Amino acid sequence: MTEIIKRDGSRQPFDAPRISKAVASALHDAQVKDPDFAEYVAKKVASTVAGQALVDIYDIQDQVEELMMSSEYHNAARKYIEYRQTRDLEREARNALSRDILGIINQDNGDDNDALLNENANKDSKIIPTQRDLLAGVVAKHYAKQHILPKHITAAHERGEIHYHDLDYAPFFPMFNCMLIDIEGMMTNGFRMGNAEIETPKSITTATAITAQIIAQVSSHIYGGTSINEIDRIHAPYVRKTFDKHLTQGLRWIEDESKAREYAMEMTEKDCYDAYQALEYEVNTLHTANGQTPFVTFGFGLGTSWEERLVQKSILKNRIRGLGRNCKTPVFPKLVFAIKKGVNFSATDPNYDIKQLALECASKRMYPDILNYDKLVEVTGSFKTPMGCRSFLGVYEENGQLVHDGRNNLGVISLNLPRIAIESKGSEATFYQLLEERLALAKEALMTRIARLDNVRARVAPILYVEGACGVRLQPDDKISDIFKHGRASISLGYIGIHETINALYGAGDIYDSEALRQKGVAIVARLRAAVNQWKEETGYGFSLYSTPSESLCDRFCRLDRKAFGIIEGVTDKGYYTNSFHLDVEKKVNPYDKVDFEQSYPQHASGGFICYGEYPNMVNNLKALENVWDYTYDKVPYYGTNTPNDSCYSCGYEGEFDATSRGFQCPQCKNRDSDKMSVTRRVCGYLGQPNSRPFIRGKQEEVVRRVKHL
Amino acid sequence: MNYLQYYPIDVVNGEGTRCTLFVSGCEHFCPGCHNASTWDARKGLPFDQTMEERIIADLGDQRIHRDGLSLSGGDPFYPGNLPGILKLVKRVKSVYPQKNIWLWTGYTLETLSAGQQAVLPYLDVLIDGRFELAKRDLSLPWRGSSNQRVIRLGERRYAAADGGC
Repeated sequence: MTEIIKRDGSRQPFDAPRISKAVASALHDAQVKDPDFAEYVAKKVASTVAGQALVDIYDIQDQVEELMMSSEYHNAARKYIEYRQTRDLEREARNALSRDILGIINQDNGDDNDALLNENANKDSKIIPTQRDLLAGVVAKHYAKQHILPKHITAAHERGEIHYHDLDYAPFFPMFNCMLIDIEGMMTNGFRMGNAEIETPKSITTATAITAQIIAQVSSHIYGGTSINEIDRIHAPYVRKTFDKHLTQGLRWIEDESKAREYAMEMTEKDCYDAYQALEYEVNTLHTANGQTPFVTFGFGLGTSWEERLVQKSILKNRIRGLGRNCKTPVFPKLVFAIKKGVNFSATDPNYDIKQLALECASKRMYPDILNYDKLVEVTGSFKTPMGCRSFLGVYEENGQLVHDGRNNLGVISLNLPRIAIESKGSEATFYQLLEERLALAKEALMTRIARLDNVRARVAPILYVEGACGVRLQPDDKISDIFKHGRASISLGYIGIHETINALYGAGDIYDSEALRQKGVAIVARLRAAVNQWKEETGYGFSLYSTPSESLCDRFCRLDRKAFGIIEGVTDKGYYTNSFHLDVEKKVNPYDKVDFEQSYPQHASGGFICYGEYPNMVNNLKALENVWDYTYDKVPYYGTNTPNDSCYSCGYEGEFDATSRGFQCPQCKNRDSDKMSVTRRVCGYLGQPNSRPFIRGKQEEVVRRVKHL
Repeated sequence: MNYLQYYPIDVVNGEGTRCTLFVSGCEHFCPGCHNASTWDARKGLPFDQTMEERIIADLGDQRIHRDGLSLSGGDPFYPGNLPGILKLVKRVKSVYPQKNIWLWTGYTLETLSAGQQAVLPYLDVLIDGRFELAKRDLSLPWRGSSNQRVIRLGERRYAAADGGC
């Protein structure tokens, strides 16, 4: 008897009726009526395999195809072939799914798994909760690609023309990207979390504890970063309550009122420092449902009251001290310090002392990054902290009042600009033509994000929609879509690799050295901005242009383009694409000139941007660091100084470790043991600790190639 | 006087944002020297008027603030360099009395020759002493080994004027 080898390698007796059934079904689909033909094909195949002990299923299918093609029923043959192809594709997809799942369990760092496991430097893929999250991500991504997104969008994403970010969460789940939590509204009006009714806190200690709880909850319901805008202003009332409590206590025991006041201030200062220490520990020990430490950003710096200043100092002093026994540099929360003339810019300003503290902190812990108040207002229309690491909301008013807290970003689709440039083969006209097509694709993809949230009810994320994090108190059965309209939420077009795009499109010459090429770079970004403006006009949604951080995308787009077009000098040869509009990381220029080079872009990409400079260790030279900060004030809205200050637990050295492709090394004792060091580097807008959680390959390559700007 | 390197913007040789000049010529030959290529006084380019004008212009840059000038090497106090160095510091101090000058030397303050001492009134900070490999310490600001000293000459002068010390 004949046996068949199936696709999975197993064997099964030859079964002629299965053939006739498949052929009959193809005939039916092609609306052919010939009841005998199916039997005829089955018999014919049966006669050729008769006498053979073992036959491959593929050979049988080929025979069926040939028999059908040589008959008069060409349409039916086509149906049969289509059916086979669809099945093959489904099977292939199932295999890819199993491969990805196996990769999570086996953790072998092959090319593909490097991308999956090290995609996010903030996820420790070795631990079970993270693996559960990765597993959910793999399934959500496959399902969305197969069944939710239009086929051509999935295909454009797969080819690397566009990048549908965060597919492991959305559109499978109706989640959005990042937000500014309305902590003030939640604390003032009370809210319900889990089984507990939370009322307005009566001390700074409770306020920070509740803040940590809110962060944990919110971060489990969105996939991007959570930010607290002006935390000094928001927490100030609870500092005052703590003070009042201590004063009452003091007056009970101390007769001299000024002494009692002094006592109350000292106690409050201690409480406040401890409260932010607890908050920092909470944030760094939290583990969200997304399998990671929450991406949290605290914005502060503008408040000048005693309470607000105390909050600012407490945050900075805690950060300067570091975490734990080894005084390690914490990666979260990201700190963003606002600088404003008249508040803290000059020596005569009331908060100048806090700017000095911020400089010390940045030199030792890399954060805070700075927001230059006046420039930020000029570029984005109003002052606000970035959501996550660099997403900025536009202007939105309710009842004539500017509103920021409670607003969010709905997600990002990024364009692979270098790809378009490569395909244009040096023709600027072709480039802009292709760009139009890709923009249309990106817009369609972005609209799928909006559509996904259309009929979603508030009950999917009570903390966001019912309890006030989004600044609204909906009923559980209310639809949420209205709060994303009229520019209340932003939705962003992202882009990557202006540097490589210019190289691919115009060939010789570096964009930095040529005024003409600089203008070309700005013109491309201005065109993208015009597109999102138009979409905003058409739809009423807050479309914005966002300079994609490209933590993993820098690697992915370049890898795909290298596969498709080979190694192109100055474009695909480095293994990564340069972050948005940034200057090539290998270009040796001073930070002042780098700021000048990049300053033309944020005004166009006002939905997301950050500029930074690479510095040597600046612990002993805060004055020079301040010089650069001051220089940026009226040039770029948002600036980070990368001042590496690593520590070696082996010899005690504090300073910058050498970055090599084999990892990081202590320059004093040559220690390379990743357990005996703390190394902090900027991944994108966020920091990461590459010694303990490796960056994706392209990103590590980029980090190794970074040159100092001083 | 020859020089080997000039950084128009520097933040690692002295406080603030600076211009830094590395001159050629050194007779200390310290083992483990970071800049051994600068020992030979004939190396590098002649420090001419054009270079001096460039430093003066950079220090006065309106766009990028500079706190002062740093002189390193080699050794600016190498005997052959003294006339050139003296001329330069005098010029810088006369044009920019408010900007400071830092100077690195392998000699020690107590044993300076008359020619070397003639430069001192124009300096604000002197980092002195040979580099000693056994005392190498990367964590020390502005110097390579722990025997070397960061001497704030300006403060000493003010103290002396007040009748202190």
